[in-house]
Amino acid sequence: MQNLIPAFDWQRVVVAPWTDGFSFTIWIVLMGFFVTAACGLVGNYLLLRRMALVGDAISHSILPGLIVAFVVFRHVSIWVSLAGALAAAFATVAIIDFIHKQSRVKADAAICIAFTTLFALGVAMMSSMESKGSMHIDAECVLYGEIAFVALEPPFVWAGWEIGPPSVLRMAVVLCVIALVIAVFYKELLVTSFDEGLSKALGMRTGVWHYGLMAALAIVVVSAFEAVGAILAVAMLIVPPMFAGQLSEHLPTRLGLTVLHAALTALLGYHLSVWLGCSTAGAMVVAAAGLFVAVWIPPQIRKLLRLRAQPELIVSAMR
Amino acid sequence: MPSPAPLEVHDLTVAYHKKPVLYGIDLTIPQGNLIGIIGPNGAGKSTLIKAVMGLMPVSSGWVKVFGKPYKENCHRVGYVPQRESVDWDFPVSVMDVVLMGRYGHLRLAQRPTKNDHEIARECLEKVKMLPFANRQIGNLSGGQQQRVFLARALAQESDLYLMDEPFVGVDAATESAIITLLRELKARGKTLLVVHHDLPSAKEYFDQLILLNMRLVAFGPTQEVFTSEILQTTYGGRLTILSDVAQTLGAQP
Amino acid sequence: MRWRVPLILLALCFVVPEAAHAARINEISDSTMAERALRFFSFQDPSLRNALIGSMLLGICCGLMGAFLVVRKLSLMGDALSHAVLPGVALGFLWNMSKDPVAIFIGAVVAGLLGAGTVQLIRNTTKHKEDAALGFVLASFFGVGICLFTMIQNLPAGNKSGLDKFMFGQAAALSHGDVMLLGGVTVLAVVAVGLFYKEYRVTSFDAGFARSLGMPVQIFHYSLMLLLAFAIVASLQAVGVVLVSAMLVIPAAAAFLLTDRLGSMLLLSALFGLCSGAFGSFLSFVGRNLPTGPFMVLAAAGVFAAALFFGPRHGILSRWWRQRSHSARIQRENTLKAIYHVLEADEFCRELATVTELAERRRETLEETMRQLAAVRRAGFVTISGDSLSLTPSGWQRACEIVRNHRLWELYLTNAAQIAADHVHEDAENIEHVLGQETVLKLEKRLNYATRDPHGKLIPGLSDIHQAPGAQGRATGFGASQSM
Repeated sequence: MQNLIPAFDWQRVVVAPWTDGFSFTIWIVLMGFFVTAACGLVGNYLLLRRMALVGDAISHSILPGLIVAFVVFRHVSIWVSLAGALAAAFATVAIIDFIHKQSRVKADAAICIAFTTLFALGVAMMSSMESKGSMHIDAECVLYGEIAFVALEPPFVWAGWEIGPPSVLRMAVVLCVIALVIAVFYKELLVTSFDEGLSKALGMRTGVWHYGLMAALAIVVVSAFEAVGAILAVAMLIVPPMFAGQLSEHLPTRLGLTVLHAALTALLGYHLSVWLGCSTAGAMVVAAAGLFVAVWIPPQIRKLLRLRAQPELIVSAMR
Repeated sequence: MPSPAPLEVHDLTVAYHKKPVLYGIDLTIPQGNLIGIIGPNGAGKSTLIKAVMGLMPVSSGWVKVFGKPYKENCHRVGYVPQRESVDWDFPVSVMDVVLMGRYGHLRLAQRPTKNDHEIARECLEKVKMLPFANRQIGNLSGGQQQRVFLARALAQESDLYLMDEPFVGVDAATESAIITLLRELKARGKTLLVVHHDLPSAKEYFDQLILLNMRLVAFGPTQEVFTSEILQTTYGGRLTILSDVAQTLGAQP
Repeated sequence: MRWRVPLILLALCFVVPEAAHAARINEISDSTMAERALRFFSFQDPSLRNALIGSMLLGICCGLMGAFLVVRKLSLMGDALSHAVLPGVALGFLWNMSKDPVAIFIGAVVAGLLGAGTVQLIRNTTKHKEDAALGFVLASFFGVGICLFTMIQNLPAGNKSGLDKFMFGQAAALSHGDVMLLGGVTVLAVVAVGLFYKEYRVTSFDAGFARSLGMPVQIFHYSLMLLLAFAIVASLQAVGVVLVSAMLVIPAAAAFLLTDRLGSMLLLSALFGLCSGAFGSFLSFVGRNLPTGPFMVLAAAGVFAAALFFGPRHGILSRWWRQRSHSARIQRENTLKAIYHVLEADEFCRELATVTELAERRRETLEETMRQLAAVRRAGFVTISGDSLSLTPSGWQRACEIVRNHRLWELYLTNAAQIAADHVHEDAENIEHVLGQETVLKLEKRLNYATRDPHGKLIPGLSDIHQAPGAQGRATGFGASQSM
């Protein structure tokens, strides 16, 4: 067990990445930040609409969408991935609705059936293609990505300036677009998430906003895919909003806290992975979860201690 | 040319999962009245309101609001839903909720203006909730929550108000505050259609009553329709055959 | 419960160690698909034997536990638990630095229970909803697991750990110990469900009622969660962490669509699980050691799709078929009604009507009318010769019944329900076909055996229905049979 956790050497873990490997480190941390922030912002609305697990479902079912898109279009590019992801997202939602509405299977089982079947289809396709030698996708990559690859990409050159790895820049654009959409359509997103009845009574097309959110979800997840893989994208959708929710009851503040959480996660996560020599994505998820626990547990302990000291508070402590 | 009635309903039939819930409803609501909708549980009272606003699909018949289909005149209708229809943990303040009532007057992506904020404040003042403007809605009592919803409907500045059981679970002070406000609205020429759950107070509060039990039993001035015979028909279950058939229809393949 | 005995016997068959065949280690060399298929089922190769038996056992116990998940609407809890066990697997490996089934089992179960506890804790102490809590546990525990896994890969012993098989499953990697574990868990599940069937059933259906009976509802809930954790962990190696929840939910959902009884659902669920497991491991072997998990899930999904579409009671195609025959019946009856109206227009002075008259009355083309008449003739209600047609006795009976229902209903709506006369006709069009005998008698009584409908037409009485159409006192005998 001792060999498992390397010694914590401040120099190696915290300082060296920034002094020696700056150009490597900066892109990884930025990618992590952009991915977590974009997923977290979209995730806020998922949680408000109680659709967290639909987010889970779509991030799994994107896999066969990507594979089918690659097979159909026969080349790998961001637009192909996007097409595959959007198709998969809508297919998932359509299948869930179909099963749920056309039979007596309930919504939770329908979600589970839809995404596991699609994911199984994706993995089956992937492994049979791999065994035939026609495609080489690392199975692990699907699950937890390999964010370090972004730092190794040849940089994007524009007007003679070397800006940075294309994936990171793409993710930055995605983040900006998401932030912009949320800012511009803030009140529409708010009222359709809060009170669907009122939205319809006011004449809003709630279906448009619902599918728009699904599309945004598909876009952030497919962008997050190469950095953190399918399953950890789910973490980035859910954990930052939960962190923000513990600290504020005001939606704009929550959105800001989500971005802050993303920054901390990326930074802490990267250093954690350097120290332990583990998957960067996994470390970032651990960091994200750790931040949530840090704001969740201490108030509970304080409450418990207060209750011990003054038993009459037990009545008022019932939420 | 006489102005069109605030609400006109003709032969409205609403079926939920093939089971008829409302049957051939014919109504013309006159302007400037405080009208109550009463009937037993499952009589379709909430369904009527929701069908008027297009929140429930209509099997047959039509609805006209101020002479036009609902969608064209939706900004003239204010809606106060049942309290349990909303997630009270949502991170919005009282002021945010009341401002939502102004969204019908705003275009896509347009922010609420200073005027909207002014109106929202006035509405909160009317329901005596202005001190709570910045509080998150979960931290309110039942009566306070109801008043916030009312303020939101007021902020819509509508001519026709549809309210779904606004008096359920509120304290006596809130109840009398609400009815005072409704009477004030009526005095200003607004039309109010209120689903109500309690018979004795229905007689006291409303000018006219709609008695509903899957189909329209009676509609008219309270004095005229609040008779024991009509009440018997509405609540007495003499329409068991109708509900039996409704069951059979719902069980069809 | 008769179904319990075969289930227990089935489970026992696979748990008792096979002594029949001597263990011979054959090399898996390149061979054709057919050869490999044969080898798979010949039970010669012990690792393949383990794979097959393990897969079948896994199918049974996941199917059983999954049935409870589906009826208690806890499918996503199963998903969260199956992801949450990953760090436990890693820690179990680290305990002895080997793939010791017992250590891994204990580690994984502890992690799973910790996950379930965390979900509850988040629900109780924060404002976050159920879906958020499940998603958090699912993702964060999985993240910890991934970290541990990748850290283990750095260790000298790590690369040969075979832990990567835990992601998507590889039934061929099941050792004898793994199969014994699966067998044990399956037997435990079968025994528990068998013994406490009625308790599990009532707590799944109506926990409040069960509590009022004095049943310790919480204990049954946690015992079920514990069994679930066991089933998940035991199945991990064959199906993989990511897809275990599929093996829990999909066979159970298929069973749910095929039966209305919990007992049969449990049996079917176990059966479907068994078949999917076997088929999946078979496919993966034939395809040269592809991961087993995905193929088991696809097999189960196939079964589910079949149940969804072709299930006799609730299947989509069955329902569509029933709807079609229902509308066909209504069509036939409307045709009969129209014939009745044609004859009535002449006050029943004649027995024959013409197709042309019928087409006119129904405002249809002649072809349309001929087509519908053909359907009515097939049912034996009408005889056609050339352009004229007449009702057979059974046709007359049915036509009278339909018209009677229609007119009684119209009368009811106008009188008792006070619906305006011009609204009433269409309602009646729909309802007359479904009024049962009992309701019609009730209606008649209610309306004081009236003889005329809101439009003034006569309502056929009971006796008229059984008289053949003909000239014998038709016009006079009509409606006079009822007394006021």
